[in-house]
Parts: sequence; C-alpha cells; structure tokens
Amino acid sequence: MVEQICEKRQRKKWLRLLLSGDHKAFAEFIDKYKETVFLCCRRLGLREDETEDVASETFLAAYKGLRRYSGWSELSTWLWSIAYRQGVNYLRKNRRQWQLEAEPDKQIGGSREQGPAAVVQSRETEQIVWEAVERLPRLWAVAVILYYREEKNIADIAKIMRIKENTVKTYLFRGRDKLKQVLAAAFDEDADGGRQIK
Amino acid sequence: MVADKLNEDRFDEMLGEALRRHSEPVPADFTKKMLRQIKEAEEQEILARVVFQERVSLAGCIVFGVLAAVGVTVFPGRIVGILRSIAAGFANRGGALIDGIGQSISLETVRSEWQLYAILALVLGLAVCVVLDMLVGERLRTA
Repeated sequence: MVEQICEKRQRKKWLRLLLSGDHKAFAEFIDKYKETVFLCCRRLGLREDETEDVASETFLAAYKGLRRYSGWSELSTWLWSIAYRQGVNYLRKNRRQWQLEAEPDKQIGGSREQGPAAVVQSRETEQIVWEAVERLPRLWAVAVILYYREEKNIADIAKIMRIKENTVKTYLFRGRDKLKQVLAAAFDEDADGGRQIK
Repeated sequence: MVADKLNEDRFDEMLGEALRRHSEPVPADFTKKMLRQIKEAEEQEILARVVFQERVSLAGCIVFGVLAAVGVTVFPGRIVGILRSIAAGFANRGGALIDGIGQSISLETVRSEWQLYAILALVLGLAVCVVLDMLVGERLRTA
C-alpha cells in the first residue's frame, strides 16, 4: 500500500518534470516507449531506415506536443496515436498507403537459415504467434497488438487509429480468426515433427 | 497440447502472453541520438525566435522612420513645432527630468497632437515588450 502511494507520487513527479521539458525525464520517456514506437512503425510496413526516421519524428512531435498534453488518455495511448499518425502520413506521402490493406507475403519460418528440424524444435509459442501476427494485413495486426499486447480498450484503439469502434471490432474479429487458422496449422506442423510451414 | 493452445478460452490468454513477451529490437544509441536531435531543434527554435524579434524591431524602426519622414514632408511646420516644444520642455526643466516630463508635455499638447504621441507610445510599448521578452520571456515560457 505504502509502496503504491510512493510509486504514484514518483510517477506524478516524473510526469510533471516531463511536461516541463526536462531532458532527463524525456530520456526516460524515450527508453520506456521506444520499443512501442518501433513496433508500431514496423507493423505499418515501414522499412528499417524509414522506421528510425519516423520513430525520431514521433518523439520530436511528442516533445513539442508534451506541453499541450492534457491527460485525456494514458501517455502510451497518446504516443501510439502520434506514432500511428506519423507512420500512416509517411506511407501516404510516399504513395504506399495500399500497403496498409495488403496482406504481407511473409511466410512463417520462411526467413530462417537453420535446418528446419532444428528451427522448429527451438521455436517457442511466442515466436510462432509473432510470425503469425506479421502475416496479418497491417491494420489488423496493429489492432491485434493494441488489444492483446498493449491492453488498450476498443475506444482507445479507435482513437489511435482514427476509425470507428465497429471497424476496430471487425479488424479484431477477423485478425483473431485468421490467427487461429494460421496458428492451428503452425502448431500442427510443430507437433508433426518440425516440417517448415510454407 | 495443440488443442489446449487453441482452446477457445485459452486462446486470448495465450495470444496476449505471447505478444507481451515479444521485445522489439531498437538501435542501441537511439535515445542519445534523439536527445541530440531535440537539443538541436531547441537551439533552432531559439535562433528562429531571435531572428523574429530582430525582424520585428527592424520593421518597427523602418515604419517609424517612414512615418516620421512622411510627417516631416506633409506637415513640416507642425512636426518641427512639436519637436521644438518637446525639446524646449526638456531643456527648460533641466535636472528635474522625471518630474519635468509630465509637466513639459501638457494634456493640451497630447490632445492636440495625439497621433504623434500614439506612435511614440506604440514604439515605446514595443521596445518594452522586446526588452521584457529578452529578460524574462524564456523563464516564463518554461515555467
């Protein structure tokens, strides 16, 4: 109980420092959320060099916008919405927004260099699930990650992606369904003795 | 095993757990790079603000100069009269300058030459704003 109160106070203090433009607090903010921002950019289909650029732009926009952060949502939700907007805008500018609807052609286990048997033996559920998520259309994948990984509610996801709540539900329903099919096949392959899945 | 993982009740749990365990690779020096970029952006912002202030001051000087030139050309007698009366006022009062300003510029003079005093007040106001911004503006903005 006491620990919780101390933690809450520390967080408040940190947030105050962050909003006042303190560089040390912002460095902690970057460390805390950089993975999230990179995750968002990569799931939108940006290439590696583009990902770093867009992630930098996201944090710069966040730094400039922090003074206007009103606390209408969690800090992570706010940052997700910036990263998502920056990523989509980048794709739009480069006339690649079609990428968001398209299904990536990546195959589960397709990029591995080790022998199939060794690969499948060492593969864990996490990796299989992640590879399956990477095969989903970008928008479905983002919705699934926001819901299952970031534990955002439907309303927050709709705000981040600037779409209707019903559309989010559709993405989640279809994404989950597709994941189930893909994972069933992948786990079957694993159970069958490690053949690589095509 | 497979059936358990894909069990309707366990599926969401398994999906959430697996996705949360994933860690996304990030370039090692990303935070440092970001902080450097932010410092550069801040320096550029400060520079842009200084340039803006300089421009405003320059524009003020030019406008004031043009207005003075137009005034002297269009109403030469009037302007010279006003300047003389002000100068005489200052000169007559001598040492008691602060008290003298109020007395030398009588209400009647201000009323009759209000356009000139309005311009002077504007220029003075602008100068005060620029000086205040230079002295405490940055502190106020960051507070």
